[in-house]
Amino acid sequence: MTYDVPESSRGIIALDENACTSCMLCARECPDWCIDIDSHKETVQEPGARPKVVHVLDRFAIDFGLCMWCGICIEVCPFDALFWAPTFDHAAADPAGMVHERFDLRQWLQDVPPGTP
Amino acid sequence: MTWVEDVSAARDAGAVFFDFLTAVDLEDEGFELVCRLWDPVEHTEHLLTTRCPRDDPRVPTLTGVFAGASWHERAVAELFGIGFEGHDTARLLLSEGFEGHPLRKDFVLTARETKRWPGAKEPGESDADLAVPRRRRARPLGARDWPVASAPAGPADVHLSGRKGGAGE
Repeated sequence: MTYDVPESSRGIIALDENACTSCMLCARECPDWCIDIDSHKETVQEPGARPKVVHVLDRFAIDFGLCMWCGICIEVCPFDALFWAPTFDHAAADPAGMVHERFDLRQWLQDVPPGTP
Repeated sequence: MTWVEDVSAARDAGAVFFDFLTAVDLEDEGFELVCRLWDPVEHTEHLLTTRCPRDDPRVPTLTGVFAGASWHERAVAELFGIGFEGHDTARLLLSEGFEGHPLRKDFVLTARETKRWPGAKEPGESDADLAVPRRRRARPLGARDWPVASAPAGPADVHLSGRKGGAGE
């Protein structure tokens, strides 16, 4: 579906998984409790460095049936992993279909207008 | 001056546009009625408030001053359980048979009781880790020490019992 909307439209929230550190800030700040994050710890050993514990993202889901498009998650993200994308055609036939997992959220990253802070 | 006299006086002084009437649940201090009037000539707003006790929440109706207050009072009556003397506040918004007054602070939100707070997990944790007891688990900001009517089964129990301990932030 195509329809002209401003680039800066709040259509959907996109996720840059590589920037996400599973810090849980967005999930905790979300007034609607619509962000679900699962992660686990892994120890990374780089040559010449001490072993480092990193958080590995397992699940990142936003329930757009609960989301109220406030954008607090995007504001609060300290690692710039969340972005507004103008994509809007993501209606679903049932409430469960409004839950979008990391795969969808990552796809929408390509819709984010260039230069978005 | 009484509530009705107050509002009439403001109207007579030029605040002839009735914007809205609503209430605030002040818990132990009862309820506060808030009425906003607008003076279309002076471009000034008039916020008038009054209070009624929680155990006997009644205020006189403003429908004699502004007929348009009727819907606002009907909404406040069902959402806050406040009676308006001299006004038959028939249901306006809630469905037939709805129990309780959803804008009272002691009204338990089903959405909050049926869904577990997703922020209870620490970074590096998943749902399964919630079963592991922690000395201190994050609690949702502003969450209250609600009476837990029916704690859902499963991992949510962990969260609900964790929240009972304190009165929130």
